[in-house]
Amino acid sequence: MNNRIKELRARHNMTQEDLANLVKVRRETIVFLEKNRYNPSLKLARDIAVVFGLAIEEVFLFDD
Amino acid sequence: MKRAVIAFFVSVLVLASVIMWLRMSPEGMSIHEVTQIGIIFLMVVFGLFFAWRRFSSVRRGEPVEDEMSKRVMQKASSLSYFISLYLWVFVIYINDRVDVDTEVLIGSGILGMSVIFVISWLIIYLRGLRNE
Repeated sequence: MNNRIKELRARHNMTQEDLANLVKVRRETIVFLEKNRYNPSLKLARDIAVVFGLAIEEVFLFDD
Repeated sequence: MKRAVIAFFVSVLVLASVIMWLRMSPEGMSIHEVTQIGIIFLMVVFGLFFAWRRFSSVRRGEPVEDEMSKRVMQKASSLSYFISLYLWVFVIYINDRVDVDTEVLIGSGILGMSVIFVISWLIIYLRGLRNE
């Protein structure tokens, strides 16, 4: 599973810390998400999608 | 925050105990004792690192724990528990064959468990938690 968090964050002029504060996680978790080293829970995926005003499947890209 | 303070105090307490042990022990120390002290120092460093991580999270206004850190901790705990079972089997095997004090064996076993936990945590943290 890939994601567009880094791209969307840049588009919204947001730092990793800003996004982490908005979705109430550690900045480290955002770093791991952007590097595709962590698969988020459904809740966190939804929270991130809500921040960018998109649907989950527009932020998180599934291989199949 | 509370756990960070506890981790910090436990690390300081262990460090103080080791320093006392070093000062009270006779001049020559065996290789076994030196190894144990080395491992204890490493564990103290790891404990202080953990406390520092938590303190810095609080300072930045981040949650001390989130879903990723909890999952890493959970996986590290279960993995280290599983490996520790084999460690204790090995300790029992050694106990039957080598003439070592029971206290030393138990102490080594407990130290071994903490080392296994630290290594498990590091491996899981560095590898990340991807598709499972």
